[in-house]
Amino acid sequence: MVTKQDSDLLAKVIKFLFWPMAILVMFFLLVPVYIMVKVSLSAPQDILTQHPPFLIHNFTWNHWLKVLKSGNLWLPFQKSFVVATITTVIAIMVAAPAAYVISRMPKKVRYTVILSLFFTRMFPEVGIALPIAVNFIKLNLLDTYTGLILAHLVKVLPFIAWILVGTFETIPEDLEQAAMVDGASRWTALTKVVFPISLSGIAVAAIFTWLESWNEFTYALYLTLSQRSLPLQTYYYVLRGDWFQSAAYSTILTIPVALVTFLLQRYLKSGYLSGAIKG
Amino acid sequence: MRKVKLYIKLLGALLLLTLVLSGCSGGGDVAKEEPKVLRVSMALAEKEWEIMREYVFPPFEEANNVKIEAIQVEASDVPKKLEAMAKAGKMEIDIITQDNMALAPLVEKGLVEDLSEYRDRIPKEVLPSLIPVGEFNGKLYFMPYRPNVEITFYNEKKFKEAGLTPPRNWDELLEVAKAFKEKEGIGRVAIKGTLDGNTTCHLFDFIRSAGGDPLVLNDEGSVKAFTFLQKLYPYLSPVTKKADWNTMNQYLANETVYLGQNWPFGVSVIVQDGGKKEIKAYHGWRGPVKESHVLGGEVIGIPKGTPNKELALKFMEYLMSKEVQEILVSKLAWPSCRSDAYGQVEEWQQPYFAAVNKALAASEPRPNVTYWADVDKALNDAFKEIVIEGKPVKPTLDKYHNILEAAKKK
Repeated sequence: MVTKQDSDLLAKVIKFLFWPMAILVMFFLLVPVYIMVKVSLSAPQDILTQHPPFLIHNFTWNHWLKVLKSGNLWLPFQKSFVVATITTVIAIMVAAPAAYVISRMPKKVRYTVILSLFFTRMFPEVGIALPIAVNFIKLNLLDTYTGLILAHLVKVLPFIAWILVGTFETIPEDLEQAAMVDGASRWTALTKVVFPISLSGIAVAAIFTWLESWNEFTYALYLTLSQRSLPLQTYYYVLRGDWFQSAAYSTILTIPVALVTFLLQRYLKSGYLSGAIKG
Repeated sequence: MRKVKLYIKLLGALLLLTLVLSGCSGGGDVAKEEPKVLRVSMALAEKEWEIMREYVFPPFEEANNVKIEAIQVEASDVPKKLEAMAKAGKMEIDIITQDNMALAPLVEKGLVEDLSEYRDRIPKEVLPSLIPVGEFNGKLYFMPYRPNVEITFYNEKKFKEAGLTPPRNWDELLEVAKAFKEKEGIGRVAIKGTLDGNTTCHLFDFIRSAGGDPLVLNDEGSVKAFTFLQKLYPYLSPVTKKADWNTMNQYLANETVYLGQNWPFGVSVIVQDGGKKEIKAYHGWRGPVKESHVLGGEVIGIPKGTPNKELALKFMEYLMSKEVQEILVSKLAWPSCRSDAYGQVEEWQQPYFAAVNKALAASEPRPNVTYWADVDKALNDAFKEIVIEGKPVKPTLDKYHNILEAAKKK
């Protein structure tokens, strides 16, 4: 039996260990990122030695300048940004209403539908990428934004629908009924009541979709010829570039990802529904 | 509601930006059916592309009123792309230059044209030993373009400090590996032990140097090679398991490894870009019977179904011409497939280039067999069991010999 003294002691230990543990975890998470940034900003003599220093001794922008001047950044960035954003918008527009409907189905039907959605994702991507690519090439979608967006939608829609079904499930039907009692149509109840309070779930789904599309490699490999997306360009740098330019390229790529995550994470608040059906 | 509006505004702004960017993209969806566009697939580094764009492509474009659209595709990805296009009935790549270690899947899947009837277009100055690389079952599928061979890199400073000289035979190799391990407590010699094509290449060299045949695998030479590797392995660097064509440069440059073999592009990565002038190169060591190096490099192929076959054939001839080969030698320090194309290379590159030429003289093409995937796997599995895990040499090689015999009959 746990006494009050024991639980006080445990609380004290947790309080005492919280910051050291948090700092340790942060250290392990941030060190690889720091090394990447450091390599991108260091002169070769700092890195190509048996015992590289932890701090930058010979600072240089040369590797960044080479990448920025190479012409290998802007077009792939543009392609990936456009594809990821349009994929996200379309995925939310398609999956949100669908997920809402699924979430209001009887429990058994709901799980059958969700399972059938996931069934499409049970095959390894490399296995289905070829037949999908063949059909897309037949439809003249090779090397186009449209082709890549459609391919990414194939990949993300089941997951995003699943995330959103979970979100809508937590919203009590009483809220919609209350709105409809007050004269709102089902559509109005959905857009003015349900969607606003499911923003946190939608934000999670949007971040997930955007990052999935931003990082997607397999379909891009099959469906790209001349204008590469960022993951393909990064692959190229890793295989064919030097270490410093690879590090500079990777550092530059991390910036938009960090920005998008930072912008959207503000919507990831727990307890969004607290008080929603009170008073 | 304020939050909803904010969120919608954010989404709207993102979409607007996307549409603006999309508008600037120059029409990614516009069908690319301009007349006389030749799509060329190569796997090159940025510096190499610069030479292609500046010196190689323009004269051909001008002479043939054609626009060359160059596409970067890695050798391992070429079969995937061509297969998808072939199955869709729309071949969008007109000509490829492909790593000669990755040809079998293209022939097996029927993705490239049989070029036997164009054999006479190979200039007589092309080294005859390069032609069999492109032959499968008596048919010529690929034309010679760029030979390549692994050379041995070593850290001159570290060797001098240890009072050692680069090894010229297996005994010396073992002595050097032992000496560094004793001196520093850690191995400083590495071979590529990633258990894939990189290791296969090294194993071919060791087996052939001992007079063996890697396709037989349990002959006297193979037994000698694996026995030697088993003896050498404890003195190798721990990074041997992670050393491939890419990381070997890194290990040499950051002085994790003092001696290792790699392709000559390491010269520009380690010495030119990395500024590590103490990393020198020579042709390598001989085995009990001879010195042998796998003949690597690239060959030219034409994908089946290309709508621009005639133009592709013309470009193929152009790539083999003296004019182009001289550019590749002088600007990129690539060994040439022609005997008459050796131009001037920069002074600092000359010792490295000499090492390449000496290694090329002892090079042998890899056999073109359709069961190559089985050979690759058998060699690497044998390496893992014998060299890494220490299993007995002869019985293990007998097992893999039988596997290869079965694969041959498939």
